[in-house]
Amino acid sequence: MEIAVCVKPVPDPETRLRPGPDQRTLDVEGVKFVLAGYDESAVEQALLLRDQLPGSTVRALAYGPAPRTPEVLRSCLALGCDSVTHLEASAPVDDPMAVAAALAHVLASRPADLVLVGKQALDDEEGLVAPALGALLERPSFSSVTDLRWNPERSRFTFQRSTDTEIERWEAPVPLVIGLQQAWNDPRTAKLPNILKARRQPIDTVPAATIEAAVAGRNGRSLPLKFELPAPRAGARMIDYSTPAEAAERLVRLLREEAKVFP
Amino acid sequence: MVDFSLTPDQESLRELARKFARSEMAPHAAEVDRNGRFPEEIYRKAWELGLMNLNVPAEYGGTGLGLFDQCLIVEELAYACAGMTTSIIANCLALEPIILGATPEQKDRWLKPFCADYHLASFCLTEPSGGSDAAALKTRARRSGDEYILTGEKCFITNAPHAALFTVFATLDPALRHKGITAFVVPRESAGLLPGREEEKMGHRASATSTVRFEEVRVPATDRLGAEGEGFALAMRTLDQTRTPIGAMATGISQAALDLAARYALQRTTFGKPIAEHQAIQAKLATMAQQLTASRLLTWLAAWTIDRGARGTLESSIAKCFSSDAALRVADEAIQTFGGYGYMKEYPVEKLLRDAKLTQIYEGANEIQRIVTARELLKRYA
Repeated sequence: MEIAVCVKPVPDPETRLRPGPDQRTLDVEGVKFVLAGYDESAVEQALLLRDQLPGSTVRALAYGPAPRTPEVLRSCLALGCDSVTHLEASAPVDDPMAVAAALAHVLASRPADLVLVGKQALDDEEGLVAPALGALLERPSFSSVTDLRWNPERSRFTFQRSTDTEIERWEAPVPLVIGLQQAWNDPRTAKLPNILKARRQPIDTVPAATIEAAVAGRNGRSLPLKFELPAPRAGARMIDYSTPAEAAERLVRLLREEAKVFP
Repeated sequence: MVDFSLTPDQESLRELARKFARSEMAPHAAEVDRNGRFPEEIYRKAWELGLMNLNVPAEYGGTGLGLFDQCLIVEELAYACAGMTTSIIANCLALEPIILGATPEQKDRWLKPFCADYHLASFCLTEPSGGSDAAALKTRARRSGDEYILTGEKCFITNAPHAALFTVFATLDPALRHKGITAFVVPRESAGLLPGREEEKMGHRASATSTVRFEEVRVPATDRLGAEGEGFALAMRTLDQTRTPIGAMATGISQAALDLAARYALQRTTFGKPIAEHQAIQAKLATMAQQLTASRLLTWLAAWTIDRGARGTLESSIAKCFSSDAALRVADEAIQTFGGYGYMKEYPVEKLLRDAKLTQIYEGANEIQRIVTARELLKRYA
């Protein structure tokens, strides 16, 4: 089985992000971009399925500028993906339709039986690439998927979808697009020798010009108006009191008069 | 052009070590320190990720890193827990004599199966009667046909209660002093090899330390490392390689102490302002940062020198000695910054002082490092 897993470089969750000077983009100076969140689970699931289905291969794809995008693809190689493809871009790509169009273009020339993506990216959490990719590739697409398993007798995948009110059980034939919520186990950590080996493995590239033609005006149709940091927290206010009754009375007064929690 | 920047390879191995240290080691450091537990599950994970056996060439199943890269990893691990780091890197020390002195056949026989699975090894040089005066060791090796019979006792042996393999230094005749010392590789299952009870230590409590007694242990002559009488030189060449990572270990402790102290100083208020705004505390933090930066650069210089093929005895003895002395001072100042809280076990800084202390003592006490430094130095003036 040919498995394609599409990933997005996102800021390291441990970095402190700041709005850039224009306040419409994030200041990425010194920010490290990593494979994280549901994308890590998608890669893990792809590798687990490959190991279970002999003869399978896993190819990771990512669309975005260097160096962040090839770096994240290298971590996919270190985790064990067989090959990686970098869809080059001259600037960061935020529009989910543009991302889906670029990926669909590349996947059309080398189709995969299963296209796995994280159900949403850890940074903007839009969750739109999986359904858009399904639509553009004209394949069934499911999001928020867990317990993804191949049933060899029926030649279909079975899986669950958790919604707010119920758990759905599905089966679907390939080719198929899956927005994954959770793999069978926690994402693995790449081993040191594999990390070093991945530095010397090739990264296939699709030039920015080719991708831009395929994306054709889909990028940048919606833009954030403004990023701002949440107001700093005011900190705790201590209440002086001599008896518990006095403490309660003062607290209720503050909640009513200052915090306006009660009418 | 001197360049202090790391290569992408080095960035990624440091990142892996940092991630492992902070997510797998740090959360357990306080508990393991309190209970003196040997957290073998953590060491096994370190092995799985390739963070153990760092110095063993890749063809024998190790990670095959140079000293500089090893130091980057050791600093990150020690930042989270120096005791665990001691047990993780004890394999490097125990296997180094094999890497330096074994024949290709011996390397195949020992290193490959050893590195193919999770195993610990112990380096047995120090004895109850002394560690620094290694040429005076008393453990005897008596030749008997195509075997040697080892008799004697080693002490302060890291990982000994859990080790599968021991590199042992013994003398054919104490009167020969260093010329009698010969090295052997002895598997755990050898009859008469008896690790003692685990010691209760001041720090590095995640690491296990015990004596190892040799009661008429029969070792095939094919398990001798190098020729008879070459053991002392082999031990010294080993320590030339493994001394520098102790500088990195101390640097990791200092970095942890400075980070804790600086964060605390920004949030702790006295006299109406954060103590970081008091000059007395600023002076402490500045001095700590100087000590830390010098430790790291001396360690990097020693590792870089040795990676370029030089023996680096001067550089590594300076790095080990300076960084370990610095770690003790930096940890001490971190406790002082925390005040009474720093003295409480509830806070993580007092552990740093207890852990730092050992770096002044093991892998060549700092008194010996100063002798080595002076000897190397004076050669250049003679």
